[in-house]
Amino acid sequence: MPTKKECSHCHLEFDAGISEEAEGEELSFCCSGCQSVYHILKDNSLGSFYDRLGGAKLSAPKQNFIDSSTFDSKAFYDKYVSQNGDISEVSLIIEGIHCSACVWLNEKALSQMEGVIEAELNFTNNKAYIAWDDSTLKLSAIIEMIRSIGYDAFAYDSKTHEESSSRERKSYYLKMALAIFAMMNTMWIAIAQYAGYFSGMEQSHKDILNFAEFVLATPVLFYSGWVFFRGAYFGLKRGVLSMDLLVAAGATLVYLYSIYIAINQKGEAYFDSVTMIITFILIGKFLEVLSKKSVGDALDLLLRDVPSEIKVLQNGEVVLKSLEEVAVGESYIISAGEKAYLDARVISGEGSFDESSLSGESRSVAKSVGSEIVSGTVSIDANVTCEVLREFKHSTLSVIAKLLEGAMRKKPRIERLANELSSYFASVVLTLFVLTFAWWIIGGAGFDRSFMVAVSVLIIACPCALALATPVATLVGLSNATKNAILFKEASSLEAMAKTDVVVLDKTGTITKGAPSVASKQLLGDVSLLHALASLSKHPISKAIAKYVEGEKLAFDEYKEVASKGIYAKKDGVIHLGGSAKLLREYGVEVSFKSCSSLFFYASGGELRAIFELEDEIKEDAKEFVQSAKEMGLRVVLLSGDEEAITAKVAHAVGLSEYYAQASPQDKLEFVRSLHSEGKKVVMVGDGINDTLALAGAEISIAMGSGSDIALEAGDVVLLDGSMRSLESAFRISKETYRLIKQNIAISLVYNSITIPLAMMGYIIPLVAALSMSLSSLLVVGNSLRRRERG
Amino acid sequence: MDSSVLVLMLSVSLFLGAIGVAGFMWAIKTGQFDDKEKFLNATKFDSEEDLNDAAKKESKKYRPPD
Repeated sequence: MPTKKECSHCHLEFDAGISEEAEGEELSFCCSGCQSVYHILKDNSLGSFYDRLGGAKLSAPKQNFIDSSTFDSKAFYDKYVSQNGDISEVSLIIEGIHCSACVWLNEKALSQMEGVIEAELNFTNNKAYIAWDDSTLKLSAIIEMIRSIGYDAFAYDSKTHEESSSRERKSYYLKMALAIFAMMNTMWIAIAQYAGYFSGMEQSHKDILNFAEFVLATPVLFYSGWVFFRGAYFGLKRGVLSMDLLVAAGATLVYLYSIYIAINQKGEAYFDSVTMIITFILIGKFLEVLSKKSVGDALDLLLRDVPSEIKVLQNGEVVLKSLEEVAVGESYIISAGEKAYLDARVISGEGSFDESSLSGESRSVAKSVGSEIVSGTVSIDANVTCEVLREFKHSTLSVIAKLLEGAMRKKPRIERLANELSSYFASVVLTLFVLTFAWWIIGGAGFDRSFMVAVSVLIIACPCALALATPVATLVGLSNATKNAILFKEASSLEAMAKTDVVVLDKTGTITKGAPSVASKQLLGDVSLLHALASLSKHPISKAIAKYVEGEKLAFDEYKEVASKGIYAKKDGVIHLGGSAKLLREYGVEVSFKSCSSLFFYASGGELRAIFELEDEIKEDAKEFVQSAKEMGLRVVLLSGDEEAITAKVAHAVGLSEYYAQASPQDKLEFVRSLHSEGKKVVMVGDGINDTLALAGAEISIAMGSGSDIALEAGDVVLLDGSMRSLESAFRISKETYRLIKQNIAISLVYNSITIPLAMMGYIIPLVAALSMSLSSLLVVGNSLRRRERG
Repeated sequence: MDSSVLVLMLSVSLFLGAIGVAGFMWAIKTGQFDDKEKFLNATKFDSEEDLNDAAKKESKKYRPPD
């Protein structure tokens, strides 16, 4: 066995590689990519990267890139580059960032370039902002530089929803910083005032305290509280009495009343209530905006690697042609490892394709002359020439992108309980405020007394508790979910999920593990070399065999992989074959065994030694999940892109009676929509690119943590460990949270229905009202915290 | 108690506190907390060379930090 060496660039261990000596040091590299990166860094005096790297490991640099000249195309500039005089700006996502040393390297290498004005790389989200002088430097040169040091970059549109939501979050941070500071200081001053209220205080001292509170409350009301005024305004414009209106009106009235009191030097001012109302509700509102998903990113992921030019055969010559310009009937060349961007029919060549983007199945599909290739699928080992069937804008890939965009923008929302109630609540309270004031005035109580009573109604009814009911409960739910390896991207999903009534499950990767494993075997002879043979291939079936049969790794004298058939190897003159029946027959080994599952045969020396049947294994707890979901009153449906027989088998194994097979991505979306038209609310669970459309179309979408990037992006909820048990927990936590929200709302409503009549009758002075407002908020918070899981 | 003491204590403490909040808000606004990873790793990059690089970068910028 060869000794493991550590690569001088990426620090990964490897068996065989390139060695060289430079400046008396012995260097070893796992691949030529690492070697060239190493030399570029040394030549550009960036060698201290390796000191900064410490023991961290990198991934080996990518070596196949899309042509960087596409970055200089006009279409690209129009879409991503903003030009400001001589200066151009672009936002890129850098791939391959592992540690702070990588960030340092990219920033340093880029800012060393002539013409680059600014290069900033965000370590947390790997997004880079680059400003450069376009007259001295081309964008492609910048991309080349990033690639030459071992990373890759692709553009993203910085004007997306995500940017605006992060700006919104920032403005909330600013508003909360000020509000919390002012609230805490106001509380100190309020303590002095309350003490003075009970033990007596000189009016001059009171004036000073009032003034200090006024100074603190003013920016809180008008700066931090601005969101409420804006919300109230937009609500009124739409003809809705929103919670924002109640908050804005209540706080402003109390504020004005307090100024009136302070100037006239009689009674108590309630600036502390103003700051408290605004701060509490602002925090509640912030918890809601904290996590908002972006629409743009999933689309970026789907279309990010679409090149602007593809290889086309014209008069026997290969030319590059812009993707948009390729017409129906032209000859399009797809090489091994490439993705097909156009729908086409093979006219020469053969090989296998990965069609998981369509069916969700990871097994490869053999294509030969006459078979159709759908855009979005990836050639594993096929080099084919094919006839284009549809233009790019009508290709399956474009159609899916368009559908995805539409589905994400029109994502159905489930109205939140608190929002439903709030407009009734707001109108009732405002009416009561006016009625109380009118009643007392008519009763001859005088303006001061009447106004004070009316204000106490408003303070008592201040929706602090109601506004906190949902955010606090969801916060507790979110923390419980995180402890169970469940990520809710949007807090509101927790409440919404509890109100759904249908669960649609994908098969491969969701109910099943998504990778084949050995289900049964037949040993007919010596298999001691099988492990070594199977380890040679990276095909999922070979990997499963290598995992199943134990043995040592050995080097074979001769070895080759036969496309979509299996492995051929030779040792000491004996031929070893592993793979499909077809492969064995080609080498004269007779095989007659048949089964509906995938088969792997092993033969050596012309003799069949073993037969393995492989199946996609069903996840543990899948059956338990189906059982408990039915107990929760949910309708569970299996929706798969796989064949009928296999889907039926899996459905029966987990106890499902409703299943649909051979569903295309569009079919899945249609199915979800048909459920909507029945008035159902749908949870879609999936992991693949083929599920993305349905994920985007469902009320709540759950993605498996091991799934494709796009599915993760489209999902509202991510199950980090991808297990069925966490899916069950997600439902349980969301139901619990919903129950908690209902309890909280009930507490605050009951509380209000007792105290509001008392306040209207004038039994509660604003001071007590302010104190009891805090009490009701505490009740709600306390009730929620009761539910927190330890751990 | 004399009122002036109260005024002095309140104004001085609120003023000092306000400076702190203003500083914090300035830091949020200029994006100093945007990248938490970089922020936490900042101590690894404060050698003389790094500081020189940072100064060079700053002088290259055409726009004032917003």
